Amino acid sequence: MSDKRELFEQSSQFRHWRYTPSSLSALRAANNQQGIARVRQSLLAESSLDGNSARTAEAENNMLTPADELGLINYYLQKIRDYATVYKFNSTVKATAITFMKRFYLHNVVFDYPPKGIMLACLYLATKVENSFVKIDDFTKPLARTKVTNSDVLDYEFVVTQSLQFDLAVHHPYRPAYGFFLDMQTYVEDITVLQKTYELAQKYIDQAVFTDLVFYYQPAQIALGAIKLAAVETRCDVDQYLTSQFDARALESLYPILDNVQEEIRKYQPVSMKEAQVIDRKLILCRNPEKNPSSSLYKSKNPEVPYVSDSDSD
Amino acid sequence: MSILPSARKQDIPPYQGDDDVCPVCKSDRYLNHNMKLLVTPCYHKMCETCVERLFSMGPAPCPVCHQILRQSSFYEQIFEDLTVEKEVRIRKRIAMTFNKRQEDFKTLNAFNDYLEMVEDITFNLLNDVDVQETEEKIGRYKRENRDLIYKNISKQQREEKLQHLISEQERTKRLQQREEYRRQLMDEEREKKMAKDSVIDALASSDKDAKEIVQTKMVQLKRSSLRHRDASKRSKFDVSALLGDLDENSDEENSGDEDMEGTFDPTESPYAPIHISMKQTYIDPNPAFRHPALTAAGMSREIHQRYLLEGAMSGLFAPPL
Repeated sequence: MSDKRELFEQSSQFRHWRYTPSSLSALRAANNQQGIARVRQSLLAESSLDGNSARTAEAENNMLTPADELGLINYYLQKIRDYATVYKFNSTVKATAITFMKRFYLHNVVFDYPPKGIMLACLYLATKVENSFVKIDDFTKPLARTKVTNSDVLDYEFVVTQSLQFDLAVHHPYRPAYGFFLDMQTYVEDITVLQKTYELAQKYIDQAVFTDLVFYYQPAQIALGAIKLAAVETRCDVDQYLTSQFDARALESLYPILDNVQEEIRKYQPVSMKEAQVIDRKLILCRNPEKNPSSSLYKSKNPEVPYVSDSDSD
Repeated sequence: MSILPSARKQDIPPYQGDDDVCPVCKSDRYLNHNMKLLVTPCYHKMCETCVERLFSMGPAPCPVCHQILRQSSFYEQIFEDLTVEKEVRIRKRIAMTFNKRQEDFKTLNAFNDYLEMVEDITFNLLNDVDVQETEEKIGRYKRENRDLIYKNISKQQREEKLQHLISEQERTKRLQQREEYRRQLMDEEREKKMAKDSVIDALASSDKDAKEIVQTKMVQLKRSSLRHRDASKRSKFDVSALLGDLDENSDEENSGDEDMEGTFDPTESPYAPIHISMKQTYIDPNPAFRHPALTAAGMSREIHQRYLLEGAMSGLFAPPL
């Protein structure tokens, strides 16, 4: 056995973006607490500025819990998928944008940055990262109805990149899944069943990228879990493949991971629009005025400078 | 002295200018297209008609310098410039007489003195300095060294003959090789044709499967052409045997390189290898490789499949945090 380390251990995904379920929820709770504290402080500053203290009490009653935050984020993750379908981006761009947004809210809170704008910035950044670049004018053209301007997307871009710690390379389970599809051809006789399993597994991976599995496990593990889940339906003998391809001792440690992946994917529930609307209404009240361009606090701190975007100027 | 025949032997065409004018009768190439200018031993030109007219009755004085000339001593011009013509002829004449070689002298200095003397004589003759004296000198030298001169002449003739023989031999060898190659080509052609005929014969006469007959015949043909190629290869191998010493040397150098191996490999990956087992072919619905631009730079389906398999196996057994 060589003493060299494996390649995947060098990836930023492995080094910086791995958590346990407990550490993840602790991190989110802490972020939420800090976010609420920041909101209180700036609301206080604002009320001293314009003497309106009613808003402070209103916000206090509507503070978002970590679960509320997560629900709103998850709703906009689904929106990313919908937008990406409109733009006809491939699944890698989709998954990268989703992962960017999930990572972004590990270091930020929705009080400061409402997910509506962050979502577009993540998607636009992902197109560049995954080699599917579109011009910003082309990107905002389909959004004209929702009055999204170029600056709405671009203003957040640097904040997002910074929060990602400039770790832009994301590894998804799609490639390992295709690799398993090829490798399983050695052991699985019926190719049509295998093909069906692979196609179904891709759908499960589409769901898996919404979950927190991407913070817990390696892409290959998620891919294999999705394949196992799909194989249950198509009656494809994955276990036979696993036992003949890998040795028993290694599999012993792998099975609990795969079970967990399947469990999480099965558990995944999309957030409905109604739920999101309720949280969104609350957010309007408890948004951090320091980061809200329409608040008087923001205006007093940032005297207005007419914005000129690169594409507008020429 | 046979200067002219030696020039003819080498097939050097006589010089003919477009605006030649005979200095004696003033006729030119425009009036007389077939005019031939000849050169006198005193290096003056005149046309063939003038030579005929003036010298057919026996020796007569040159119309330019009044030297007495004979008709037989005229010759055709080779060089355009008459001074060059003169120098070449004089040097040729001198070389016939002064034909000593370095091995005829005891020291190099003596040989150099001799060469100096020859050059002086040549210069005198060329520039008409003390011509009478110089001619006497030449005659004296000729008389004194007669034996050696004849000996060296015969030596030179022998050498020339040998050179001629060698070149002749090479020429015949080349011709033989060409003939050999042509014969080989013809043999091959004939064999091919015979094989074809035999296939047709077999197809016509036997009642076996047509495909089978064609296949067996093709195999036979291939075998025979292989035999030919082997033969030609063997003849080439003889040449390479001559270079044996060279090859041995390079072998030694290679073995030295092998010792270095194992210490450093610049292409070695800094990461632990991912163990995968590739099948010969996969059912791979990926449509990307239908586009030729993708494979132009050396990317292949196999490389991509290896990449996919490595992706599947990397980090598969990494424990979660």
